[in-house]
Amino acid sequence: MRRMATTTTAAILLMGFVTGCGVAANKAGTTENAAGGAPKVNFKVGLVTDSGGLNDHGFNHLSDVGLEKAKQELGVSGSVVESKSESDYVPNLQRFAQQGYNLVIAVGYLMDEAVKQVAPQYPNTKFLIIDDPITDINNVTSAMFKTEQCGYLVGALAGLMEKRSDIQGLNPQNVLGVVGGQKIPPVDSYIAGFLQGVKKTDPDAQVIVKYVNSFNDQAGGSQVAQTEIAGGADIVFQVAGGSGIGVINAAKSAGVFAIGVDADQNYVAPNTVIVSALKGVDTATYDVIKDTLNNQFKPGVQDFDLANNGVGISKTTSVVPADIVNQVNDLANQIKNGSLTVSDQLPKS
Amino acid sequence: MSVLTNPQLWASTLAMTVPLALPAIGGTFSERAGVVNIAMEGIMLMGAFFGVAFSYWTGSAWLGLVFGVLMGGLLAAVFAWAAIRLAADQVVLGMAVNIFASGLTAFLLNTLFGYEGTPPDTPPLPFVSLPWLGPVFSHQSVLLYVMFAIVALSHWFLFHTRIGLRIRAVGENPLAADTAGLNVWRLRYAGVIVGGMLSALGGVYLSIGILNSFDVGMTNGRGFIALAAMIFGKWTPVGSFLASLLFGFSTALGIALQGQGVSPDLLSMIPYVLTILALTGLVGRSTPPAADGIPYTPIR
Repeated sequence: MRRMATTTTAAILLMGFVTGCGVAANKAGTTENAAGGAPKVNFKVGLVTDSGGLNDHGFNHLSDVGLEKAKQELGVSGSVVESKSESDYVPNLQRFAQQGYNLVIAVGYLMDEAVKQVAPQYPNTKFLIIDDPITDINNVTSAMFKTEQCGYLVGALAGLMEKRSDIQGLNPQNVLGVVGGQKIPPVDSYIAGFLQGVKKTDPDAQVIVKYVNSFNDQAGGSQVAQTEIAGGADIVFQVAGGSGIGVINAAKSAGVFAIGVDADQNYVAPNTVIVSALKGVDTATYDVIKDTLNNQFKPGVQDFDLANNGVGISKTTSVVPADIVNQVNDLANQIKNGSLTVSDQLPKS
Repeated sequence: MSVLTNPQLWASTLAMTVPLALPAIGGTFSERAGVVNIAMEGIMLMGAFFGVAFSYWTGSAWLGLVFGVLMGGLLAAVFAWAAIRLAADQVVLGMAVNIFASGLTAFLLNTLFGYEGTPPDTPPLPFVSLPWLGPVFSHQSVLLYVMFAIVALSHWFLFHTRIGLRIRAVGENPLAADTAGLNVWRLRYAGVIVGGMLSALGGVYLSIGILNSFDVGMTNGRGFIALAAMIFGKWTPVGSFLASLLFGFSTALGIALQGQGVSPDLLSMIPYVLTILALTGLVGRSTPPAADGIPYTPIR
């Protein structure tokens, strides 16, 4: 009886682990097939997600999109492994490097230490890290995104909307909302830009900024958004990863507008998400794969900004009047030609 | 003090209480019958995922609810079989169920719906407005009212019916209950499975009660806070509800106080600090059912 119990427990535990890892294994398997037969070139790319995983509706997902595009168009082969926790970063990076992968992509500044530890051990493998500046290792390149610039543009757009009285769905109060995931630099650079953009076009507006303190708590995101909406916010900018889906949902239920982040999130709620601030992790990933394939790998920091289409804003929905779109485009041009600079630091409160 | 008079604070409190109170009461049923249940988190995930999936496939959120609750009950039944029939270690089993459910729901989400997540046109459960009760009740999920009914019904069932007495008896002294002619195993199965269905209902609330989507790990540790609420509530349905209300309030207060010069990291600790205070017995000692966690071999 006892032994049978122990065996069953072990079996169930094992089942859990197998299923847990099954996600990564399955993903690796299917992506390799998705390239459509044998890869045309002998070039292997390994992608390691951070603990957010491929379901983050954000940069992990976008990086995978970039890899998929490279497989389709450049004929490289690629595998993805999802990190379940921070302790997986080093072994996951090492696994690809040991197997002779040409390029290993580490998604997220959380992997800073892991890349610094692994990259020097494998000089024949190139590494790309997203969102984290590493300058002193010659087989590492860093993709940095000036998200304060696209944050600025959607902030300016929200401010211009707020000043108008002829737009249906906006209340008379001059209040905007921002919901962040966690108070960390890649989130706060968006928010810093947003605040400066609002200040430019609608200096009297009150902006409520709150954090969910989690990137995968949709219910929490929804509550934070509802609190801001109850405080008068009628356009809510979410910078909260998976929690942000809850923010958009709350905006939809309350009949107010939302602004998406990282990817074009209009598909989540087409009448609610009027615009999204875009972070081109997909293009950056694709470009670095292409450069590395063509022996043009550049170590050090590569900046992706409005000028090189590394960040941007999505197409707006029909709710946004054309003259507002034009004014925002003017501001975008000023940022591109350098006559307008945006800080990535939040104002001291 | 304007924070405390803002109706949104109290609306948030109630909305954040439901996904804690339902699994906490579910855990109460299981542990009152003598089976330690730390699997609420995993069972909630099952309820949340299958709630959305069946809501989308059938086009009816109510069918989603039914299937979500049934799938939670099914997982609880497997757990119960291993814990009761095979007398396996219940804490290890509970953890295994949590890991299993988190892997399974992530796998199914990505296999069936892809990385974009569940479809945005999935029907959610209705919101019910009772404006005459004040703005706090102007936009709440129908499951909030279901939860109130479940609190009252569970209390009546466990403490004022014969079968409730029997369930508590097998959790306190299964040998005596067995000698008196009760079927210990059957009663324990009932406690664990009913408890699992209530936990799954908490998951359904998260996915199609207040939203209409599922994401990997969206329960975000609520199953474990519910465990604390159950202990804080001294293994009673009403106590579990009141403890959940307190935790829900501290979450809502954390949201409301943000941006008023207090660090969000500090505020997000409030529920956990309260939990520790509760567990260390600063608010009255909590004693579990005497046979909680001890497998029972029938005398026949």
